[in-house]
Amino acid sequence: MKQLLVFVLFAPLFCWLAFSPVYKHVLLVRQALLQQEADYLLEIGASGAYGYIDREMVAESRLRLARYGFRPELLEYDIESTNGMPADQPAEPLPRGVGLRLEIRYPYERLLDIDRLIGLDVPGPEGRIAASGMKMSEYVP
Amino acid sequence: MHKLLFGVLMVVVWWMLHALQWEEERAMGLLYEMKRAVNRSAHAAAQQADRDRLELGIPSIDPGLARAAADLYLQANLRLDRDFRPLPGSPLRHPPAVLVFEVINGEHEFPYTYYNPEYNFRVTLRRPGVVMVVRAEYPRLFSVMGPVVWQIKGAAELVHV
Repeated sequence: MKQLLVFVLFAPLFCWLAFSPVYKHVLLVRQALLQQEADYLLEIGASGAYGYIDREMVAESRLRLARYGFRPELLEYDIESTNGMPADQPAEPLPRGVGLRLEIRYPYERLLDIDRLIGLDVPGPEGRIAASGMKMSEYVP
Repeated sequence: MHKLLFGVLMVVVWWMLHALQWEEERAMGLLYEMKRAVNRSAHAAAQQADRDRLELGIPSIDPGLARAAADLYLQANLRLDRDFRPLPGSPLRHPPAVLVFEVINGEHEFPYTYYNPEYNFRVTLRRPGVVMVVRAEYPRLFSVMGPVVWQIKGAAELVHV
């Protein structure tokens, strides 16, 4: 009887101990995948051949991430330049010396909800995991 | 009673393993993020061509502009302020420091092998370029792991037109 009581008392803690590492790991892997994708887009976009990240490249990137289980419609891309020029227009690529800034965001999708079992605050629905970077364009007209 | 004690002990051990694993994965991720930030700032620095000398047909890098570009890109990629102090949202907790920043220009014969014995950093440049070493400390969440300090090395060459 006493053992049962102890088990019931500690059940949330046991659940958290058993399952939270898996969720944490998924979160870390997602973060790493977003970062990898951001690096790839920056590497290509800032190279001498492009100087921009346009809609087509973003659409392809969504497809690539969807293969890892991301929901493509929830991915948000922010593409900016350091001098205020639009950075997503193939007609006007960023010249050499201008920085290309990219941020990819994705919601937590309740991955941290399990932390509620031990009384931690979890990020709300507007919380996002994000990967970002800034690279100088190499494009020369 | 001793069963309960054993249970609590196991919970502690399990939690420490979990914390260690999480910490190591985060540290690995941050190391790569730092490396990319260093690479990008070296890349930006190496593109600061000295226009006056370029007109004479000598490709070379303006050291002043290069240093400014490197600092700017390091700050932007790691979300630091002008004095390298971390801003909210930065992955770091302690300000990183640029230990080595050298511009390799036409005073050397290319291909030139740069070697820095202090940080055991060797790189061969085929064109004028920039080498840098940045020191950063990993912000630990738990103290299950010893402190981690990295010296991150990066190099880039002037991209020819």
